[in-house]
Amino acid sequence: MTTVDTVYWDPYDPALARDPYPLYARMREEAPLYYNEQHKFYAVSRHADVQRGLADWQTYSSSRGDILEIIQADIELPPGTLIFEDPPVHDIHRKLLARVFTPRRIATLEPRVRAYCRRALEPVTGAERFDLVEAVGAEMPMRVIGMLLGIPEADQPAIRDLTDETLGTEGGGKINHEDILSTDAFKDYIEWRKRHPSDDLMTELMTAEFEDENGITRTLTDDEVLTYCSVVAGAGNETTGRLIGWFGALMARYPQARRELAADPTLIPNAIEEILRFEPTGPFTGRYVTKDVELYDRTVPAGSAVLFIQAAANRDPRRFDDPDRFDIHRVTQHMSFGVGAHYCLGAALARLEGRIAAEEILERFPGWDVDWDHAELAQTSTVRGWKTLPLVVEGAR
Amino acid sequence: MTTEWWNVTVDTRMCVRTGLCAASAPEHFELDANGQGHARSATLPASEEVLEVAESCPIEAIGIRDADTGEQVFPPPGS
Repeated sequence: MTTVDTVYWDPYDPALARDPYPLYARMREEAPLYYNEQHKFYAVSRHADVQRGLADWQTYSSSRGDILEIIQADIELPPGTLIFEDPPVHDIHRKLLARVFTPRRIATLEPRVRAYCRRALEPVTGAERFDLVEAVGAEMPMRVIGMLLGIPEADQPAIRDLTDETLGTEGGGKINHEDILSTDAFKDYIEWRKRHPSDDLMTELMTAEFEDENGITRTLTDDEVLTYCSVVAGAGNETTGRLIGWFGALMARYPQARRELAADPTLIPNAIEEILRFEPTGPFTGRYVTKDVELYDRTVPAGSAVLFIQAAANRDPRRFDDPDRFDIHRVTQHMSFGVGAHYCLGAALARLEGRIAAEEILERFPGWDVDWDHAELAQTSTVRGWKTLPLVVEGAR
Repeated sequence: MTTEWWNVTVDTRMCVRTGLCAASAPEHFELDANGQGHARSATLPASEEVLEVAESCPIEAIGIRDADTGEQVFPPPGS
Protein backbone atom coordinates (compact mmCIF):
# COMPACT_ATOMS: atom_id res chain seq x y z
CA MET A 1 0.00 0.00 0.00
CA THR A 2 1.63 3.22 -1.15
CA THR A 3 -1.30 5.59 -0.75
CA VAL A 4 -1.31 7.51 2.49
CA ASP A 5 -4.86 8.18 3.55
CA THR A 6 -5.25 11.55 5.19
CA VAL A 7 -8.20 10.30 7.19
CA TYR A 8 -7.20 8.21 10.17
CA TRP A 9 -9.68 5.87 11.85
CA ASP A 10 -8.69 3.64 14.72
CA PRO A 11 -11.63 1.46 15.76
CA TYR A 12 -9.91 0.79 19.08
CA ASP A 13 -9.60 4.48 19.99
CA PRO A 14 -11.86 5.04 23.02
CA ALA A 15 -11.90 8.79 22.35
CA LEU A 16 -13.99 8.13 19.26
CA ALA A 17 -16.85 6.68 21.27
CA ARG A 18 -18.47 10.05 21.91
CA ASP A 19 -19.09 11.14 18.34
CA PRO A 20 -17.63 9.04 15.55
CA TYR A 21 -19.96 10.50 12.90
CA PRO A 22 -17.87 13.41 11.60
CA LEU A 23 -15.03 10.98 10.98
CA TYR A 24 -17.38 8.46 9.34
CA ALA A 25 -18.62 11.27 7.08
CA ARG A 26 -15.05 12.05 6.04
CA MET A 27 -14.36 8.39 5.36
CA ARG A 28 -17.49 8.11 3.20
CA GLU A 29 -16.43 11.13 1.14
CA GLU A 30 -12.63 11.05 1.15
CA ALA A 31 -11.78 7.38 1.64
CA PRO A 32 -14.69 5.17 0.62
CA LEU A 33 -12.14 2.38 0.61
CA TYR A 34 -10.07 3.01 3.70
CA TYR A 35 -6.89 1.21 4.70
CA ASN A 36 -5.45 1.30 8.20
CA GLU A 37 -1.69 0.64 8.18
CA GLN A 38 -1.32 0.22 11.90
CA HIS A 39 -4.00 -2.41 12.41
CA LYS A 40 -3.83 -3.75 8.85
CA PHE A 41 -7.45 -3.72 7.78
CA TYR A 42 -9.69 -2.20 5.13
CA ALA A 43 -13.00 -0.45 5.77
CA VAL A 44 -15.95 0.65 3.63
CA SER A 45 -18.55 3.14 4.77
CA ARG A 46 -20.94 3.99 1.92
CA HIS A 47 -24.42 2.49 2.14
CA ALA A 48 -24.27 0.77 -1.25
CA ASP A 49 -20.86 -0.78 -0.49
CA VAL A 50 -21.89 -2.00 2.94
CA GLN A 51 -25.14 -3.44 1.62
CA ARG A 52 -23.47 -5.20 -1.30
CA GLY A 53 -20.51 -6.43 0.73
CA LEU A 54 -22.41 -7.86 3.66
CA ALA A 55 -24.70 -9.76 1.29
CA ASP A 56 -21.74 -11.25 -0.63
CA TRP A 57 -20.57 -14.05 1.65
CA GLN A 58 -18.61 -15.73 -1.13
CA THR A 59 -16.21 -12.77 -1.27
CA TYR A 60 -16.50 -11.56 2.30
CA SER A 61 -16.43 -14.61 4.51
CA SER A 62 -17.49 -15.00 8.13
CA SER A 63 -15.48 -18.21 8.56
CA ARG A 64 -12.87 -16.44 10.66
CA GLY A 65 -15.37 -14.48 12.69
CA ASP A 66 -16.84 -11.00 12.46
CA ILE A 67 -14.61 -9.13 14.92
CA LEU A 68 -11.39 -7.65 13.55
CA GLU A 69 -8.96 -9.09 16.09
CA ILE A 70 -10.58 -12.53 15.89
CA ILE A 71 -10.32 -12.56 12.09
CA GLN A 72 -6.68 -11.57 12.33
CA ALA A 73 -5.91 -14.11 15.05
CA ASP A 74 -6.77 -16.84 12.52
CA ILE A 75 -8.04 -19.32 15.06
CA GLU A 76 -10.05 -22.45 14.52
CA LEU A 77 -13.69 -21.83 15.42
CA PRO A 78 -15.98 -24.66 16.55
CA PRO A 79 -19.03 -25.64 14.48
CA GLY A 80 -22.34 -24.12 15.57
CA THR A 81 -21.01 -20.61 16.06
CA LEU A 82 -23.31 -19.35 13.26
CA ILE A 83 -21.85 -15.88 13.28
CA PHE A 84 -18.50 -17.39 12.34
CA GLU A 85 -19.68 -19.60 9.49
CA ASP A 86 -20.53 -19.37 5.81
CA PRO A 87 -23.27 -21.09 3.81
CA PRO A 88 -24.05 -23.95 3.40
CA VAL A 89 -22.97 -25.00 6.91
CA HIS A 90 -24.16 -21.68 8.33
CA ASP A 91 -27.61 -22.21 6.85
CA ILE A 92 -27.93 -25.71 8.29
CA HIS A 93 -27.07 -24.40 11.73
CA ARG A 94 -29.14 -21.23 11.44
CA LYS A 95 -32.26 -23.18 10.44
CA LEU A 96 -32.14 -25.04 13.74
CA LEU A 97 -32.55 -21.75 15.55
CA ALA A 98 -34.60 -19.83 13.02
CA ARG A 99 -37.94 -21.43 13.87
CA VAL A 100 -37.61 -20.21 17.45
CA PHE A 101 -36.78 -16.64 16.42
CA THR A 102 -39.61 -15.95 13.96
CA PRO A 103 -41.57 -12.76 14.68
CA ARG A 104 -44.55 -14.94 15.65
CA ARG A 105 -42.70 -17.12 18.13
CA ILE A 106 -40.98 -14.08 19.61
CA ALA A 107 -44.30 -12.23 19.93
CA THR A 108 -45.55 -14.93 22.29
CA LEU A 109 -42.90 -13.79 24.79
CA GLU A 110 -44.44 -10.32 25.05
CA PRO A 111 -46.46 -10.81 28.26
CA ARG A 112 -43.45 -12.23 30.12
CA VAL A 113 -41.07 -9.58 28.79
CA ARG A 114 -43.49 -6.86 29.82
CA ALA A 115 -44.00 -8.37 33.26
CA TYR A 116 -40.24 -8.47 33.76
CA CYS A 117 -39.82 -4.89 32.54
CA ARG A 118 -42.51 -3.66 34.94
CA ARG A 119 -40.86 -5.44 37.84
CA ALA A 120 -37.52 -3.90 36.91
CA LEU A 121 -39.01 -0.40 36.79
CA GLU A 122 -40.95 -0.76 40.04
CA PRO A 123 -38.08 0.19 42.39
CA VAL A 124 -37.32 3.41 40.45
CA THR A 125 -40.92 4.53 39.97
CA GLY A 126 -41.33 7.88 41.71
CA ALA A 127 -37.57 8.41 41.90
CA GLU A 128 -36.11 11.80 40.98
CA ARG A 129 -33.20 10.20 39.22
CA PHE A 130 -32.03 6.71 38.33
CA ASP A 131 -29.57 5.00 36.02
CA LEU A 132 -31.56 3.60 33.11
CA VAL A 133 -28.79 1.18 32.13
CA GLU A 134 -28.62 -0.25 35.61
CA ALA A 135 -32.40 -0.42 36.04
CA VAL A 136 -33.33 -1.96 32.68
CA GLY A 137 -30.63 -2.05 30.00
CA ALA A 138 -28.12 -4.25 31.76
CA GLU A 139 -30.55 -6.83 32.99
CA MET A 140 -33.51 -7.14 30.66
CA PRO A 141 -31.90 -8.74 27.58
CA MET A 142 -30.28 -11.55 29.56
CA ARG A 143 -33.52 -12.17 31.40
CA VAL A 144 -35.34 -12.46 28.09
CA ILE A 145 -32.69 -14.77 26.63
CA GLY A 146 -32.99 -16.72 29.85
CA MET A 147 -36.75 -17.04 29.26
CA LEU A 148 -36.03 -18.34 25.76
CA LEU A 149 -33.36 -20.79 26.85
CA GLY A 150 -35.30 -21.79 29.95
CA ILE A 151 -32.64 -20.77 32.47
CA PRO A 152 -33.87 -20.43 36.06
CA GLU A 153 -34.13 -16.78 37.08
CA ALA A 154 -31.73 -17.15 39.97
CA ASP A 155 -28.88 -18.22 37.65
CA GLN A 156 -29.33 -15.48 35.06
CA PRO A 157 -27.27 -12.60 36.52
CA ALA A 158 -24.21 -14.86 36.79
CA ILE A 159 -24.50 -15.82 33.13
CA ARG A 160 -24.86 -12.18 32.09
CA ASP A 161 -21.73 -11.18 33.98
CA LEU A 162 -19.70 -13.93 32.37
CA THR A 163 -20.80 -12.87 28.89
CA ASP A 164 -20.16 -9.18 29.52
CA GLU A 165 -16.68 -9.88 30.85
CA THR A 166 -15.89 -11.77 27.68
CA LEU A 167 -17.01 -9.08 25.26
CA GLY A 168 -16.04 -6.08 27.35
CA THR A 169 -12.82 -4.34 26.36
CA GLU A 170 -11.55 -1.47 28.46
CA GLY A 171 -9.93 1.63 27.04
CA GLY A 172 -9.29 0.44 23.52
CA GLY A 173 -8.39 -3.14 24.42
CA LYS A 174 -9.00 -6.16 22.24
CA ILE A 175 -11.11 -9.21 22.87
CA ASN A 176 -9.32 -12.32 24.03
CA HIS A 177 -10.17 -14.97 21.46
CA GLU A 178 -10.05 -17.78 24.02
CA ASP A 179 -12.67 -16.10 26.16
CA ILE A 180 -15.13 -15.47 23.38
CA LEU A 181 -15.66 -19.18 22.81
CA SER A 182 -16.07 -20.04 26.46
CA THR A 183 -19.23 -22.01 27.17
CA ASP A 184 -18.70 -22.45 30.90
CA ALA A 185 -21.77 -20.45 31.79
CA PHE A 186 -24.14 -23.05 30.39
CA LYS A 187 -22.20 -26.24 31.09
CA ASP A 188 -23.74 -27.23 34.41
CA TYR A 189 -27.12 -26.22 33.24
CA ILE A 190 -27.30 -28.51 30.20
CA GLU A 191 -26.95 -31.67 32.31
CA TRP A 192 -29.85 -30.56 34.47
CA ARG A 193 -31.98 -29.67 31.46
CA LYS A 194 -31.46 -33.12 29.97
CA ARG A 195 -33.25 -34.59 32.95
CA HIS A 196 -35.91 -31.87 32.94
CA PRO A 197 -36.96 -31.20 29.35
CA SER A 198 -39.48 -28.39 28.70
CA ASP A 199 -40.65 -26.21 25.82
CA ASP A 200 -37.57 -23.99 25.91
CA LEU A 201 -34.93 -23.34 23.26
CA MET A 202 -32.27 -25.48 24.90
CA THR A 203 -34.51 -28.55 24.99
CA GLU A 204 -35.44 -27.90 21.37
CA LEU A 205 -31.78 -27.70 20.41
CA MET A 206 -30.97 -30.92 22.23
CA THR A 207 -33.77 -32.86 20.57
CA ALA A 208 -34.06 -31.38 17.06
CA GLU A 209 -33.03 -33.77 14.31
CA PHE A 210 -31.30 -32.32 11.27
CA GLU A 211 -29.20 -33.37 8.32
CA ASP A 212 -25.64 -32.19 8.83
CA GLU A 213 -23.11 -31.08 6.19
CA ASN A 214 -22.06 -34.70 5.67
CA GLY A 215 -25.62 -35.79 4.93
CA ILE A 216 -26.00 -37.55 8.29
CA THR A 217 -29.27 -37.13 10.19
CA ARG A 218 -28.51 -36.55 13.85
CA THR A 219 -29.09 -34.33 16.88
CA LEU A 220 -26.62 -31.74 18.13
CA THR A 221 -23.84 -32.81 20.45
CA ASP A 222 -23.67 -31.28 23.94
CA ASP A 223 -20.74 -29.13 22.86
CA GLU A 224 -22.70 -27.83 19.88
CA VAL A 225 -25.72 -27.03 22.05
CA LEU A 226 -23.43 -25.14 24.42
CA THR A 227 -21.93 -23.19 21.56
CA TYR A 228 -25.38 -22.21 20.31
CA CYS A 229 -26.43 -21.02 23.75
CA SER A 230 -23.27 -18.98 24.17
CA VAL A 231 -23.65 -17.41 20.74
CA VAL A 232 -27.29 -16.47 21.37
CA ALA A 233 -26.45 -15.04 24.78
CA GLY A 234 -23.37 -13.19 23.58
CA ALA A 235 -25.05 -11.69 20.54
CA GLY A 236 -28.27 -10.63 22.17
CA ASN A 237 -27.24 -9.33 25.53
CA GLU A 238 -25.14 -6.20 25.40
CA THR A 239 -26.40 -5.09 21.98
CA THR A 240 -30.04 -5.02 23.09
CA GLY A 241 -29.16 -3.45 26.42
CA ARG A 242 -27.40 -0.64 24.61
CA LEU A 243 -30.47 -0.10 22.42
CA ILE A 244 -32.50 0.67 25.53
CA GLY A 245 -29.78 3.09 26.65
CA TRP A 246 -29.85 4.88 23.31
CA PHE A 247 -33.62 5.21 23.62
CA GLY A 248 -33.14 7.01 26.95
CA ALA A 249 -30.37 9.24 25.62
CA LEU A 250 -32.07 10.20 22.34
CA MET A 251 -35.41 10.89 24.00
CA ALA A 252 -33.64 13.34 26.31
CA ARG A 253 -31.87 14.98 23.39
CA TYR A 254 -35.06 15.17 21.30
CA PRO A 255 -37.85 15.95 23.77
CA GLN A 256 -40.33 16.76 21.00
CA ALA A 257 -40.03 13.19 19.71
CA ARG A 258 -40.42 11.88 23.26
CA ARG A 259 -43.63 13.89 23.77
CA GLU A 260 -45.01 12.55 20.50
CA LEU A 261 -44.29 8.96 21.51
CA ALA A 262 -45.78 9.43 24.97
CA ALA A 263 -48.94 10.86 23.38
CA ASP A 264 -49.15 8.16 20.71
CA PRO A 265 -47.34 4.90 21.55
CA THR A 266 -48.25 3.43 18.15
CA LEU A 267 -45.35 5.51 16.81
CA ILE A 268 -42.88 3.61 18.98
CA PRO A 269 -42.00 0.73 16.59
CA ASN A 270 -40.94 3.16 13.88
CA ALA A 271 -39.05 5.24 16.43
CA ILE A 272 -37.11 2.13 17.45
CA GLU A 273 -36.08 1.68 13.80
CA GLU A 274 -34.86 5.27 13.69
CA ILE A 275 -32.92 4.79 16.93
CA LEU A 276 -31.32 1.70 15.39
CA ARG A 277 -30.38 3.70 12.30
CA PHE A 278 -29.16 6.76 14.16
CA GLU A 279 -27.15 5.01 16.87
CA PRO A 280 -26.56 1.36 15.96
CA THR A 281 -25.28 -0.54 18.99
CA GLY A 282 -23.02 -2.64 16.75
CA PRO A 283 -21.32 0.03 14.62
CA PHE A 284 -19.33 -2.23 12.30
CA THR A 285 -18.92 -5.83 11.20
CA GLY A 286 -15.74 -7.60 10.11
CA ARG A 287 -15.24 -10.08 7.27
CA TYR A 288 -12.36 -12.03 5.78
CA VAL A 289 -11.65 -11.42 2.08
CA THR A 290 -11.50 -14.73 0.15
CA LYS A 291 -10.34 -13.43 -3.24
CA ASP A 292 -8.79 -10.27 -4.68
CA VAL A 293 -11.44 -7.56 -5.04
CA GLU A 294 -11.27 -4.33 -7.05
CA LEU A 295 -12.77 -1.43 -5.11
CA TYR A 296 -12.33 2.24 -5.99
CA ASP A 297 -9.46 1.45 -8.37
CA ARG A 298 -7.52 -0.43 -5.76
CA THR A 299 -7.06 -4.12 -5.12
CA VAL A 300 -8.09 -5.50 -1.78
CA PRO A 301 -6.03 -8.67 -1.65
CA ALA A 302 -7.36 -12.06 -0.66
CA GLY A 303 -6.57 -12.69 2.99
CA SER A 304 -7.36 -9.12 4.11
CA ALA A 305 -9.71 -8.19 6.89
CA VAL A 306 -12.40 -5.65 6.05
CA LEU A 307 -14.75 -3.74 8.32
CA PHE A 308 -18.19 -2.79 7.02
CA ILE A 309 -19.18 0.34 8.94
CA GLN A 310 -22.95 0.14 9.28
CA ALA A 311 -23.01 3.24 11.48
CA ALA A 312 -21.53 5.20 8.57
CA ALA A 313 -23.80 3.57 5.97
CA ASN A 314 -26.82 4.48 8.08
CA ARG A 315 -25.96 8.15 7.61
CA ASP A 316 -24.99 8.09 3.95
CA PRO A 317 -26.68 11.09 2.30
CA ARG A 318 -26.80 9.06 -0.94
CA ARG A 319 -29.32 6.83 0.78
CA PHE A 320 -31.02 8.99 3.44
CA ASP A 321 -32.26 12.55 3.14
CA ASP A 322 -30.75 14.78 5.78
CA PRO A 323 -29.16 11.73 7.45
CA ASP A 324 -27.93 13.48 10.60
CA ARG A 325 -31.46 14.52 11.49
CA PHE A 326 -33.19 12.25 14.02
CA ASP A 327 -36.72 11.74 12.71
CA ILE A 328 -39.02 9.15 14.27
CA HIS A 329 -41.36 9.39 11.26
CA ARG A 330 -38.70 8.47 8.74
CA VAL A 331 -39.19 5.29 6.70
CA THR A 332 -35.90 3.75 7.55
CA GLN A 333 -34.08 0.79 6.04
CA HIS A 334 -30.99 0.75 8.19
CA MET A 335 -28.03 -1.60 8.09
CA SER A 336 -27.86 -2.12 11.85
CA PHE A 337 -29.00 -5.75 11.77
CA GLY A 338 -26.81 -6.55 8.77
CA VAL A 339 -27.85 -7.95 5.39
CA GLY A 340 -28.39 -11.39 3.89
CA ALA A 341 -27.55 -14.77 5.37
CA HIS A 342 -26.26 -13.27 8.62
CA TYR A 343 -29.11 -10.79 9.12
CA CYS A 344 -29.51 -10.61 12.89
CA LEU A 345 -31.37 -13.72 14.00
CA GLY A 346 -32.55 -11.90 17.10
CA ALA A 347 -33.89 -8.82 15.31
CA ALA A 348 -37.51 -9.58 16.25
CA LEU A 349 -36.46 -10.07 19.86
CA ALA A 350 -34.45 -6.83 19.96
CA ARG A 351 -37.39 -4.95 18.44
CA LEU A 352 -39.81 -6.47 20.94
CA GLU A 353 -37.59 -5.60 23.89
CA GLY A 354 -36.94 -2.09 22.59
CA ARG A 355 -40.64 -1.43 22.07
CA ILE A 356 -41.74 -2.82 25.44
CA ALA A 357 -39.03 -0.96 27.33
CA ALA A 358 -39.98 2.26 25.52
CA GLU A 359 -43.70 1.80 26.24
CA GLU A 360 -43.19 1.03 29.91
CA ILE A 361 -40.67 3.81 30.48
CA LEU A 362 -42.79 6.44 28.72
CA GLU A 363 -45.87 5.39 30.63
CA ARG A 364 -44.13 5.91 33.98
CA PHE A 365 -41.86 8.82 33.05
CA PRO A 366 -43.33 11.09 30.39
CA GLY A 367 -40.35 13.45 30.73
CA TRP A 368 -36.68 13.29 31.66
CA ASP A 369 -33.29 14.76 31.03
CA VAL A 370 -29.91 13.09 31.31
CA ASP A 371 -27.24 14.14 33.80
CA TRP A 372 -24.71 14.18 30.97
CA ASP A 373 -21.77 14.97 33.28
CA HIS A 374 -22.26 11.65 35.01
CA ALA A 375 -23.24 9.62 31.96
CA GLU A 376 -20.61 7.30 30.52
CA LEU A 377 -20.40 6.27 26.89
CA ALA A 378 -18.29 3.26 25.99
CA GLN A 379 -17.13 1.62 22.82
CA THR A 380 -15.72 -1.89 22.75
CA SER A 381 -14.58 -3.60 19.58
CA THR A 382 -18.13 -4.87 19.09
CA VAL A 383 -20.58 -2.51 20.77
CA ARG A 384 -21.07 1.19 21.36
CA GLY A 385 -23.46 2.64 23.92
CA TRP A 386 -24.09 3.99 27.41
CA LYS A 387 -22.51 2.22 30.35
CA THR A 388 -24.22 4.62 32.75
CA LEU A 389 -27.12 6.88 31.89
CA PRO A 390 -28.50 8.81 34.89
CA LEU A 391 -31.98 10.08 34.05
CA VAL A 392 -33.28 13.15 35.87
CA VAL A 393 -37.02 12.73 35.93
CA GLU A 394 -39.21 15.72 35.15
CA GLY A 395 -42.05 16.45 37.50
CA ALA A 396 -40.84 13.97 40.09
CA ARG A 397 -41.84 15.71 43.30
CA MET B 1 -49.93 -30.06 2.50
CA THR B 2 -53.21 -30.14 0.63
CA THR B 3 -52.02 -27.92 -2.19
CA GLU B 4 -49.39 -28.21 -4.88
CA TRP B 5 -48.57 -24.61 -5.78
CA TRP B 6 -48.31 -21.35 -3.93
CA ASN B 7 -48.40 -17.72 -5.00
CA VAL B 8 -45.59 -16.10 -3.07
CA THR B 9 -45.43 -12.31 -2.92
CA VAL B 10 -43.19 -9.81 -1.17
CA ASP B 11 -44.96 -6.68 0.05
CA THR B 12 -42.53 -4.01 -1.12
CA ARG B 13 -44.11 -1.38 1.14
CA MET B 14 -43.12 -3.41 4.18
CA CYS B 15 -39.90 -5.00 2.95
CA VAL B 16 -36.77 -3.49 4.51
CA ARG B 17 -34.41 -5.45 2.23
CA THR B 18 -32.79 -7.72 4.71
CA GLY B 19 -31.91 -10.09 1.86
CA LEU B 20 -32.60 -13.01 4.15
CA CYS B 21 -35.09 -14.71 1.79
CA ALA B 22 -32.64 -14.87 -1.12
CA ALA B 23 -29.80 -15.87 1.19
CA SER B 24 -31.67 -18.72 2.84
CA ALA B 25 -33.51 -20.10 -0.22
CA PRO B 26 -31.67 -18.87 -3.33
CA GLU B 27 -33.49 -21.39 -5.53
CA HIS B 28 -36.82 -19.74 -4.71
CA PHE B 29 -35.98 -16.09 -4.03
CA GLU B 30 -33.67 -13.51 -5.58
CA LEU B 31 -32.77 -9.86 -5.10
CA ASP B 32 -32.94 -7.10 -7.69
CA ALA B 33 -30.12 -4.58 -8.11
CA ASN B 34 -31.50 -2.49 -5.23
CA GLY B 35 -31.55 -5.41 -2.86
CA GLN B 36 -35.32 -5.86 -3.10
CA GLY B 37 -36.22 -9.53 -2.74
CA HIS B 38 -38.92 -11.38 -4.69
CA ALA B 39 -39.94 -14.92 -5.59
CA ARG B 40 -38.20 -16.25 -8.68
CA SER B 41 -41.51 -17.17 -10.31
CA ALA B 42 -45.17 -16.27 -9.85
CA THR B 43 -45.91 -19.68 -8.36
CA LEU B 44 -43.67 -21.92 -6.31
CA PRO B 45 -44.23 -25.55 -5.37
CA ALA B 46 -45.56 -25.75 -1.83
CA SER B 47 -42.80 -26.69 0.57
CA GLU B 48 -41.82 -26.52 4.20
CA GLU B 49 -38.76 -24.54 3.12
CA VAL B 50 -40.73 -21.71 1.48
CA LEU B 51 -43.04 -21.58 4.49
CA GLU B 52 -40.01 -21.30 6.78
CA VAL B 53 -38.63 -18.44 4.72
CA ALA B 54 -41.94 -16.57 5.06
CA GLU B 55 -42.10 -17.29 8.79
CA SER B 56 -38.50 -16.19 9.29
CA CYS B 57 -38.81 -12.92 7.39
CA PRO B 58 -37.99 -10.43 10.14
CA ILE B 59 -40.84 -8.10 9.23
CA GLU B 60 -43.20 -10.69 7.74
CA ALA B 61 -43.25 -9.07 4.33
CA ILE B 62 -43.75 -12.39 2.54
CA GLY B 63 -47.29 -13.59 1.88
CA ILE B 64 -48.32 -17.03 0.64
CA ARG B 65 -51.61 -17.98 -1.01
CA ASP B 66 -52.81 -21.24 -2.46
CA ALA B 67 -52.46 -20.80 -6.23
CA ASP B 68 -55.68 -22.71 -6.96
CA THR B 69 -58.06 -21.56 -4.28
CA GLY B 70 -56.50 -18.19 -3.39
CA GLU B 71 -56.70 -19.24 0.23
CA GLN B 72 -54.23 -17.50 2.50
CA VAL B 73 -51.47 -19.78 3.81
CA PHE B 74 -49.18 -17.24 5.49
CA PRO B 75 -49.61 -15.17 7.54
CA PRO B 76 -52.15 -17.62 8.99
CA PRO B 77 -55.69 -16.35 8.35
CA GLY B 78 -57.28 -14.59 11.29
CA SER B 79 -53.97 -13.64 12.88
